[in-house]
Amino acid sequence: MKARLTRWIHLSAAGAALACAPTAAHAHLVETRLGDFYSGALHPLTDLQQVLPWIALAVLAAFQGAQRARWVILAFPLALLAGGLLSLVLPQPAFGPALGLALVAATGLAVAAALRVPLPVLLGTAGIMGLLHGDQNGAAMAASTDRVLFLAGVMASGYVVMTLATGAALAFLRGGGRGDDVPSTGSWRPIALRAGGSWVAAVGIMVLGLHLVTPGAS
Amino acid sequence: MKHLVPSARVLLCGALAGLLAAVPLAPAFAHTGSGVALGLVSGFLHPLTGADHLVAMVAVGLWGAQLGNPAIWVLPVTFPLVMAVGGVLGLLGVPLPFVEPVIALSGIALGVMVALAARPPLWVAAVMVGVFAVFHGYAHGRELPDAADAVAFAAGFVAATGLLHLTGILIGVLVRWEAGARAVRACGAAIGCVGLYFLLGAVGIIA
Repeated sequence: MKARLTRWIHLSAAGAALACAPTAAHAHLVETRLGDFYSGALHPLTDLQQVLPWIALAVLAAFQGAQRARWVILAFPLALLAGGLLSLVLPQPAFGPALGLALVAATGLAVAAALRVPLPVLLGTAGIMGLLHGDQNGAAMAASTDRVLFLAGVMASGYVVMTLATGAALAFLRGGGRGDDVPSTGSWRPIALRAGGSWVAAVGIMVLGLHLVTPGAS
Repeated sequence: MKHLVPSARVLLCGALAGLLAAVPLAPAFAHTGSGVALGLVSGFLHPLTGADHLVAMVAVGLWGAQLGNPAIWVLPVTFPLVMAVGGVLGLLGVPLPFVEPVIALSGIALGVMVALAARPPLWVAAVMVGVFAVFHGYAHGRELPDAADAVAFAAGFVAATGLLHLTGILIGVLVRWEAGARAVRACGAAIGCVGLYFLLGAVGIIA
């Protein structure tokens, strides 16, 4: 018993020492070749002002049912790409930050209310959000940035987040896998998503207020 | 005593090895403490580090659980939105009197409601919780301009507030059992006492 305890302590100590070994991992040189793709993919993910409305839009799309949500998964990345291309030829609009925050509040409120919106309105929201965020991400490119790779990264990021979040929300709403296309609104599952939407809306309303009071603080 | 010596030696060796392993041979860069990360952490901790906020938010969840449908779901959806209105009032610098005393009073009032298992009409409960939400939001909103990242700070404190409601609702599940219902009412009484302590502090009766 004592020998086993001794061996266990020695192994634990050796494991802890190994875990703290000060060696750096250089397996993947992300700053070469495809580096700008990863820069583009990560750029929107480091900004909650973009991630929050993306997820809210995905949940809003899920509330409309899988049939309609599929169109958002297609339209949103294309709008991101179009916005990124626009940033190459047009200056950033002055109303961009305010519109971005208004989109956070609007998508959050729509989720909180579990709104059923016509498909053109849903696609229009996805289009405006995609154009704006594509433009904002595209404007972050430096002169040395590989634009094709960077914009491909932004687009891929938008596609992956939108697909995963929509799929997760649809699966969550269906719960037991009843197979209905338009989820019911009677159980606790849509209420949980609606509460999340109200969180996003609250963030959008407050930061929009801050932006209007002191532009640049947000 | 003699048979303890080898064990003590093993433990000493283990402790020494652990100590050596814990010595930072290379600097840790895990937490830079800036931007989004700092904003999220400071926002998330803001409602948790103020016991008056914390107990009032848990009380909201407890009361919702006692009231049952539809209050249990109306409340978590609407509270953040009303709180946001209070936050904007704070940002705009709209003078709101007695903010800290009213926040403490919210703990007392909600605690008493839970302790008495009060069942007023839904609109009365909603108005009462809504008024308190404005004051809680106002206090958070005043901090927003100083945040490292305003969006992250707001997301942090809204998420923490929502999770405190959820905590109250989960504790409130106990009301299904008789003993659990009594325990929930006791929680309400304790929350009322915490609120009273903060109210006495806010008006300067205790330090």
